[in-house]
Amino acid sequence: MSIPSKRRVPLLLGSGKSKAVARAGDQSASLNLTSMIDMFTILVVFLLKSYSAEGAIVTVSDALTLPRARSESRMELKLEIHVNNTVIVVDGDPVVAVDRNLLSTGGSIRPLVVRLRDHMEYSRNVRGAITEEETKINIQGDRGIPAILLQRVMASCTEAGFTSQNLAVIKDEASGRSGGD
Amino acid sequence: MAKAASGRSRRVRHEAELDMLPVMNLFCCIIPFLLLSASFLEITVIGMSGTEGVTASGAGAATANLMRSEEDRLQPKIIITEEEMFIGTSAGTVHVSYSFQEDRDTDQDGVYDTRVTSFHWDSLATRISEVRDLLSENYPQIDFRKIIILTVEETRYENIIRAIDIAGAAGFDMPGLQVAPSASVAGAMGGRL
Repeated sequence: MSIPSKRRVPLLLGSGKSKAVARAGDQSASLNLTSMIDMFTILVVFLLKSYSAEGAIVTVSDALTLPRARSESRMELKLEIHVNNTVIVVDGDPVVAVDRNLLSTGGSIRPLVVRLRDHMEYSRNVRGAITEEETKINIQGDRGIPAILLQRVMASCTEAGFTSQNLAVIKDEASGRSGGD
Repeated sequence: MAKAASGRSRRVRHEAELDMLPVMNLFCCIIPFLLLSASFLEITVIGMSGTEGVTASGAGAATANLMRSEEDRLQPKIIITEEEMFIGTSAGTVHVSYSFQEDRDTDQDGVYDTRVTSFHWDSLATRISEVRDLLSENYPQIDFRKIIILTVEETRYENIIRAIDIAGAAGFDMPGLQVAPSASVAGAMGGRL
């Protein structure tokens, strides 16, 4: 097998190049990755800051917008009630439609109490006894619901045995904000 | 070392070039992983406290009971009506802010499509700190943490949360909620501080 000669073989496509281009043809072109590395570094730092090892344990319904607050208490995985101006949803099941009649009076809401009691009964049957943890409930309310609706939902929870009620909010990162007015 | 006629060195400077490809590969692996596990909205909770009565018994609990009943009697309230916001205790109330209409929720064209009732929350923050200082000064033996949000039926949930949030920042981190018709709320205001 013969050793290929070191004589320059003109490129098929570059045979018509100028002399200057032909002289530079030996140098290999390389991409300058510095800018991209800079961008990736910034991106990685930003993503590391918002990295959550625990993951999202709750899903916020698209049908409601949570209010903002500076509370630091982390949300625990409990029974959830979603409340907006059209429907009250317990654990994914629509239970009560919100209408004028519902907003005209106070006190507990009977179908909601029944649904919550069913859940409490189910927990008792599965676990044997109701612990304090089982009496906690998370309420996700739309920021536009009236106070009477919230009060009726909370009264229903209390009547069904869920004595510890937590209101879900979006954590406001602007800790220095006191009103924003 | 060979020198040119000009006397300058002819040493050729070679720039050291780092191989960035492994770093790029690493980043390409890390970024999708971080994107998947990033949480851009943190959901937290505000614990609501129920109405608590004096239930403990026995001689040892007597002093605590008296202190608790004093705390309940002096428990501050933020009163929110449609027009005004007050703060006070059973001794009386003081005006905090008048309500005003605020534009919210811009649509795709940037036009505001909702006008909602809001209050001057900075005023509440100032007033509630004054109330807390006053209570702590006069009753140093009581750790005031409870506060009641007394509001009319139509008050927006968002405003209730803002009031609870500001109260929590001032040290009242055990909020309770009472909702009553407008007439009852007006009656509850009684005398002013």
